[in-house]
Amino acid sequence: MSTASTLLSPELLARLERLELVSRKIFRGRMKGERRSRRKGQSVEFADFRSYVHGDDLRFLDWNTYARLDRLFLKMFLEEEDLHFYALIDASKSMDFGEPTKLAYAKQLAAALGFVGLVRGDRVKIETLGPGGGDPPPVLRGRRSLWRMLEYLENVQPGGEAPLAQAVKSFCVRNSGKGIVVLISDLMDKSGYEAALRYLLAQEMDIYVIHLLSVAEIEPQLQGDLRLVDCEDGDVAEISVSGPLLKRYRETLAAFIHSARDFCTRRGIVYLAARNDLPVEQLITGYLNQRGLLR
Amino acid sequence: MQLINMLTWWQWAILAMAPPAIVLLYFLKLKRRPVEVPSTYLWRRSIEDLHVNTIWQRLRRNMLLFLQILILLLAMLAALRPGWRGVALSGDRFIFLIDNSASMRATDVEPSRLEEAKRQARLLIDQMDSGDVAMVVSFADTAKIEQMFTDSRRKLRAAVDAIRATDRPTSLVEALKVASGLANPGRTADDVYDVQVAEPLPATLLIFSDGRFADVSGFALGNLDAVYKPIGNPESVNLGITTFAVRRNEARPQQLQAFAQVRSFDRQPAEVSLELRLDGELINADRFELAAEESRGVSFDLGTPDSGVLQLTAVTGDDLAVDDVAWAVVNPPRRARVLLVTPGVEPLEYALSTSAALELADVSVETPAFLEQPAYRQPAATGVYDLVIYDRCRPKEMPQANTLFIGALPPAGDWKAEPQVVAPQIIDTDSAHPLMQWLDLGNVLIAEGTPLAGPLGGVTLIDSNIGPLFVVAPRDRYEDAALGFVFIAEGGGEGKEPGGYIGTNWPIRASFPLFALNVLEYLGGGRTSGAGEAIRPGQPVALDSPLPGKEVSVQTPAGETVRVRADSSGKANFSGTGQLGVYNVRIDGKVARHFAVNLFQASESDIRPVSGLRIGYVDIPAQTSQEAARRELWRILLVAGLAVLCVEWYTYNRRVAW
Repeated sequence: MSTASTLLSPELLARLERLELVSRKIFRGRMKGERRSRRKGQSVEFADFRSYVHGDDLRFLDWNTYARLDRLFLKMFLEEEDLHFYALIDASKSMDFGEPTKLAYAKQLAAALGFVGLVRGDRVKIETLGPGGGDPPPVLRGRRSLWRMLEYLENVQPGGEAPLAQAVKSFCVRNSGKGIVVLISDLMDKSGYEAALRYLLAQEMDIYVIHLLSVAEIEPQLQGDLRLVDCEDGDVAEISVSGPLLKRYRETLAAFIHSARDFCTRRGIVYLAARNDLPVEQLITGYLNQRGLLR
Repeated sequence: MQLINMLTWWQWAILAMAPPAIVLLYFLKLKRRPVEVPSTYLWRRSIEDLHVNTIWQRLRRNMLLFLQILILLLAMLAALRPGWRGVALSGDRFIFLIDNSASMRATDVEPSRLEEAKRQARLLIDQMDSGDVAMVVSFADTAKIEQMFTDSRRKLRAAVDAIRATDRPTSLVEALKVASGLANPGRTADDVYDVQVAEPLPATLLIFSDGRFADVSGFALGNLDAVYKPIGNPESVNLGITTFAVRRNEARPQQLQAFAQVRSFDRQPAEVSLELRLDGELINADRFELAAEESRGVSFDLGTPDSGVLQLTAVTGDDLAVDDVAWAVVNPPRRARVLLVTPGVEPLEYALSTSAALELADVSVETPAFLEQPAYRQPAATGVYDLVIYDRCRPKEMPQANTLFIGALPPAGDWKAEPQVVAPQIIDTDSAHPLMQWLDLGNVLIAEGTPLAGPLGGVTLIDSNIGPLFVVAPRDRYEDAALGFVFIAEGGGEGKEPGGYIGTNWPIRASFPLFALNVLEYLGGGRTSGAGEAIRPGQPVALDSPLPGKEVSVQTPAGETVRVRADSSGKANFSGTGQLGVYNVRIDGKVARHFAVNLFQASESDIRPVSGLRIGYVDIPAQTSQEAARRELWRILLVAGLAVLCVEWYTYNRRVAW
């Protein structure tokens, strides 16, 4: 529990237990789970009748109908399946800023969402984008996997210089299953975040983008003549902080957020801007609830 | 623009190093503090946005550098002491004396001399330094303080603007006295020691005038520094009427004659045409050429008008209009109030009651006992009578009137009589005197005569072998005449028959009624008031009122009505004669008389500005060109530098704080 407390407080856990992940699409799961599937199968919920064809399971024949009509009909039930939930954490160096760091915030958020999935018997996979190599992330299922998930998250370290698109592409190649994917990133990739989202769209996943920015990025507290060094690629920008420049920066930031939101909305991606001074509890119970990821 | 180098070469060298040093400091400042940020992504885009903006953005980045270099440049420019030739007012106390006399109405400078003087005064007021004080005085024949000493330029300008032209002549003396009040405080010698009563405050006296007034003598400028600013064009042209009066024709006393004098103040001959109007109707005209600086007299016969207003206009087209018109008035004759005090003198009473005499005078006859009554004393003392004739009696005090004493001596004055002589012979009469005109006394016999000796100034009108028998002498503004014989002698005297007897055969001669008329005309003032006297602008006029304390109203040429109350002597003093033209005097609503106010001042008509003034023993030359002085710019430059410094400070704070 001591490990869990750093990422998830007991109070939060108690609240999360009452939530579940919601997908706007019905996906085909791998294993039987708690979710209704498009597939007809074994459950208690009746779906439809169809004519018997050779080879159907005789157990599903509706004998009462056969007795009345002398014809064989097959009773079909809605299949209940599990949901694939992916949390993608951008673990680039730029996430290692802020108080708390954006990465820590992202981990907390991923842990909370993952916990909801585990409790509901969904298939949960948390991937970090960035540091290559290392152990592949475990596929988790069931409440008892919470500790493994937290352990994995604890070990996530910032680093790696792979562009976002590259990392997402690699994720898509490795995971062909459909489901809910939550990308937690600051989207500050000089080559652009659009390609990365397009890869996800191609997978026909239910995509959520949580655009995480630190307070220092939203309201920079800088003064004087500075040489700004990019922590990822070492790029240098020389600025003289002035009223007009800061105004310009704020405009650029607003435009950046707006364009990202616009990009996502156009493509059916749920976009959510978050800042690291907003408590995770509030984000989950408030905003994500509103956006329909959680119920 | 002139520059004065205030620094030596090495100081300049140090100063010249400052701008490169500032630029250098800016380059050094470019060593920026490195700060690690999550991503330069947004910053770079912001900077790019700024870069692609106008060059102004680039300039703005270096605003501080530019401002600092600007401050330095301003300081360097100030060190060069730039300046230009300007007009200076030296001193810190000024007295603006602005002439608003008639000659300042001249239009030889546009729009008029007074406006030009006001314009120049305003210019100088604008150049006063802060803390300077000034006073504005306008002067014609009197001075008026328009504004006491103040440092408010607005008040001074308003005071100068408020000065209006007058028709008055010029005198600088009063203005100088007003001006010198503070500069030369009086000294008191009450004590043993001569003590100065106040600290003298030296001042600069700026006289804006054409200088056409008499040199001021007997005035010491003391602490006043006088500057004379001549106003007007030396080439200005003027012709003026310097005299216009109505007189009795010498040859025919019944007829009136108008006499005018026109004077040219031009260096060129000029043609003048004169138009004479009586009550607005043209009755005479004349046209002649005046040589340079010539003055010519013109006379017009008027006939025998009873009353009227004469206006003489000179059509000249010169620079001063006020002296081209003159007025004269003919007032209706006023019947004299004559009192005859006599125990009984039939011949004289007859002579004073002829129709000709009644036209001239209103004669009342009383006995000597009347002299004791208040009904006599009060009118006599207040000048109600024009003439009192005392026949063989004398009052205790002389009346406020002309007098004729018959067989008695005036109680006052230095009159003397010698013992009576029987049958004096008339040997001479002064027929030139108005009292004795047209009198032939060769056939007059006198029973008894008393030789008289009048006071100083007395004139003998009838001389006899025993001495003067008829003397007239002035007393204040009146005249007393005394006759040394009687028409009817008292009876009961020593060796004489009782009841009285004839004292002379003059009453049965033709000259007697004439004498009576002469007395009424001359001593009664019968016709003399017919022609109005000439009054100068500003001169007070004593108006006759029928009763003491009665109100007289005067209508000015501008149409205003002024009410004046007569004093105890029956005279109403009117002093509002500032305007030129004809004034109507109304008593009980009826026009009683007119009087005319005319300029008639050669010094005002001669509008060529003088080249210098003389005040006391000091000659003040005309200062046509303004006193040249350097107008310095370095103070303004330094203030501008300070302002730029403030902008720089603000800009710096803006950059740092936001």
